[in-house]
Amino acid sequence: MKNIHEFATFKNASSAACAVVVLVAMGSVNAKTPPTSAELEDQKNMLMSAVKRGDDLWHSAKLGSNGLACGNCHPDGSATNPHTWPKYQSNLGKVGTLREMINWCISVPLVGTPLALDSDEMIAMEAYTMYTHRGVAIAPAKDEQHGGTPVVSGPGYPNAHGGNR
Amino acid sequence: MRKLSRRDFLGMSIKTGAATMFAGMFAPTATSLMGLGGVAHASTKKITPFTFAVLTDAHLYDISDHKFDAILEKAVSDVNSIQPRPDFVLYGGDLGQSGKKEELVKGKRILDKLKMPYKIILGEHDYYLDMGKAWRGLFGDEHWSFDHKGTHIIGMNSILVNDFWSLRKLTPLERMGYMEELECHQCGLWGVQEKQLDWLEKDVKKLSPDMPILIMTHSPLWDYYPRWNFQTVDAPEIRQILRKFEKVMAIHGHVHQVVYNSIGNISSAGLLSTSWPWPYPPVDLPYPNIKMNRVDPGDFEDGLGSHKIDLSSNFDGVVNYRAFSDLLPDNVKRGIKL
Repeated sequence: MKNIHEFATFKNASSAACAVVVLVAMGSVNAKTPPTSAELEDQKNMLMSAVKRGDDLWHSAKLGSNGLACGNCHPDGSATNPHTWPKYQSNLGKVGTLREMINWCISVPLVGTPLALDSDEMIAMEAYTMYTHRGVAIAPAKDEQHGGTPVVSGPGYPNAHGGNR
Repeated sequence: MRKLSRRDFLGMSIKTGAATMFAGMFAPTATSLMGLGGVAHASTKKITPFTFAVLTDAHLYDISDHKFDAILEKAVSDVNSIQPRPDFVLYGGDLGQSGKKEELVKGKRILDKLKMPYKIILGEHDYYLDMGKAWRGLFGDEHWSFDHKGTHIIGMNSILVNDFWSLRKLTPLERMGYMEELECHQCGLWGVQEKQLDWLEKDVKKLSPDMPILIMTHSPLWDYYPRWNFQTVDAPEIRQILRKFEKVMAIHGHVHQVVYNSIGNISSAGLLSTSWPWPYPPVDLPYPNIKMNRVDPGDFEDGLGSHKIDLSSNFDGVVNYRAFSDLLPDNVKRGIKL
């Protein structure tokens, strides 16, 4: 942190350039060893297991009490527009997050008990619907486009199973 | 041999048919862009004008006093209130959610409150627990046709998929669970399959080309969004069989939304459900001005509704979407020409 603070005090371009050299040199000293391909594979598998868990929850009636699942209205995570949050959402009555909206849907249309916002289940639900929208540009706020046709990404998440989960 | 000859015929005619088909799909007319619907195919044969109503996709659960029960009840009351009274009602499939007999019995009890006769077809949610046994016990044949005031009206089961469950050794409940997911990746594309194509061919064989035809299937008779089975895989064969007619109107459930298309001599309209609306899939609509507004998830009736369809003496149809909330842009509110 000290070095970065000092960097901000450099007054001219050549000094700044020197600082970059210094920082890059320091970086090479302090950097962690890059993850091995096996480690990267593990990380990806952990993400995909969260996505799969989210997919299961998304299509499960267990979150609610009236038989409905999120997937009834939101196949492939459609019409959730995860790339537009945070935004003002009239159902929440405030600027809220995707997780808060997921809880609103669990509480109101599904008549269920909201998840803790930092729970593994909530993170899995978020992972699923964001995964189905990968590649879509981040665009917070509800503009005309998002008030119109909801976005579903191309490939979605190719689950190997169907309902009853 | 009959199967081969039809497919061969289709193969030969596709080159000439395709031009008409794609013109219909991708070149909306100026009229359609104003939201009035597709190309006029005025039939030379006069019919006695009549009105009928359509309901679809109630997705009833085997849970007492479920909110969807009340919405179907409301739709039935709405249809009963239409003056002059519709001659009959068509029901477009997915009466139940999980194929349970209890759901279908409950649905029949509500539909029986209609003050006019009704005809019903299957949706996938009605079928895959017992392969339609309970449904057939309550409602009869999976496909049918009848004539009414000069129009030939056809209903077919369009949700038949190839066996994906035997090799996986799925139980009936598991099979139903797969099919309950709109985005089921293992279930495959559905259609009416060969037996019903044969039936359809025979059913219309003796009809004169100027006979007005109305056909109802659960899924659209065009390739809309196959990932969600917004399609009928043998729709090209159906269109081929119906090609000799001057004008064919098609209506379908399954999509839970306002959507319109016109292919050759067939114009088709998608219908509102009485359960939940579906978003538009990420493809261009052939008639982008014929769509519903985005719904408010806090209003449980938004995106839902019933329908009244008026047919004039020269077989011009108008679909009136009777949305339960303020869902429709003005051009759709005025009615969609079929």
